[in-house]
Amino acid sequence: MEPIRNFPDSELVANLRSGIRMDEMIKAIYRNHFDSLGWYVMNNSGSRQDAEDVFQEVVVAFIELVQKDKFRGESTVKTFLFSLNRFTWLNEIKRRGRALAREEKYKREQDKVELDTGHLIADREGKAEVVRLVGELGETCRKILLLFYYENLSMKEILETMHYENEQVVRNKKYKCLKQLEQMVNTNPALKETLKNLLHG
Amino acid sequence: MDNSTPDMSERLVLYLDGELSGSEKKTLEQQLAEDKTLQGELESLQSTRQAIKLYGLKQKVASIHGQMMEELQAPVKKISSVSRMVRYSVAIAASLLLIVGGYWAYNFFTISPDKVFASNYRSYELVTVRDGGNNEASVIEEAYKEKKYAEVVGVTFDRPFTIKELFIRAMSYSELADNPKAIEAYKKVIAQNEGAKTNTFKQQAEYYLALSYIRNGDYDFAIDLLNKIQDDPNHLYNEKVSNKLIRQVKMLKWR
Repeated sequence: MEPIRNFPDSELVANLRSGIRMDEMIKAIYRNHFDSLGWYVMNNSGSRQDAEDVFQEVVVAFIELVQKDKFRGESTVKTFLFSLNRFTWLNEIKRRGRALAREEKYKREQDKVELDTGHLIADREGKAEVVRLVGELGETCRKILLLFYYENLSMKEILETMHYENEQVVRNKKYKCLKQLEQMVNTNPALKETLKNLLHG
Repeated sequence: MDNSTPDMSERLVLYLDGELSGSEKKTLEQQLAEDKTLQGELESLQSTRQAIKLYGLKQKVASIHGQMMEELQAPVKKISSVSRMVRYSVAIAASLLLIVGGYWAYNFFTISPDKVFASNYRSYELVTVRDGGNNEASVIEEAYKEKKYAEVVGVTFDRPFTIKELFIRAMSYSELADNPKAIEAYKKVIAQNEGAKTNTFKQQAEYYLALSYIRNGDYDFAIDLLNKIQDDPNHLYNEKVSNKLIRQVKMLKWR
């Protein structure tokens, strides 16, 4: 039986910020907000697939913003997510060149309180490009770098899962992999700019 | 971008990773303050690390996304414990079809679900408590004690199984390495306890269910359950769930 719990905003945000029980937190976001946010996309000319794709982007963006301390509880998580969802979908509509902005504008005017998170949404296509590039790394490199920089495992812990002689060998391998990815990033100026914005934005 | 010397490049990476000692760190920070090129090199490494973090986060959300879409596809309504059981069983059956295919590939790696399972699994020893001379119940118990597990799961009655019998059946499925049935049976033990607000073999079932999830490749379910046990200092199996065990399951997930 999968335990299902709801979390107060403060607990959810604190856990996301420090990377604790991420799976449970992400599932809670889906359970509490997908229906209403998905409904918004589907009622503004989006398909179910659009609603799912946008929501996935929103969850990633929200966690990034929380971890960069860009969400400080000025609004509820629900309002914040709703705003991210709206702007992500509007950007997507613009990208597709559909003339839906007017209809949306009318709806926006009806909202007396509108949280503007448009400026917080980083370039969607640029991020997709980053993911594609990391995906091009060899599997071993990708794994070592993810375990170290994303899962925050130590060299010793990484050694336990991989076939290397000692920690120093893993350390050398990690260094080479990082430099290899750095070179790949540096050959793509647009992507480098996206990452720079993510870093400082 | 080239770093000026291999040595400096390595030191920048150590700085990035927070692994320089106090004095080395101070020296490097002084160099960084005076050298724009070096600052650029550090920023290049930070951007690269950012790319990895973004990739990791996207992968994590994507892996949960599929699972949640399956869960959320069902119409939103009040879910009875019975329909919840049915839903989970269907989900387990569906994921099994996907997982079984890739299962044997794990043998290529040092760490495997089986190894993690085996190093944490202990056969459960039943304490002999007479159930008021209930012969039917003792049939199951005796067969279990004699390690005739196939016999245990073959026993049927004209009445529903008691929670204890369900637990013994679940343990037997674990012994027989029949994960889907073990998972289903442990979940029944937990569900019945929750329905009746009792605690009969519930915590045992939670721990062994987590192990069954690991052996079955359902790592997200396993991690959630292990976290729950670890967060509850009064849980019978609290001490058995170490940080190492949770880490191992996370590693398996990245395969």
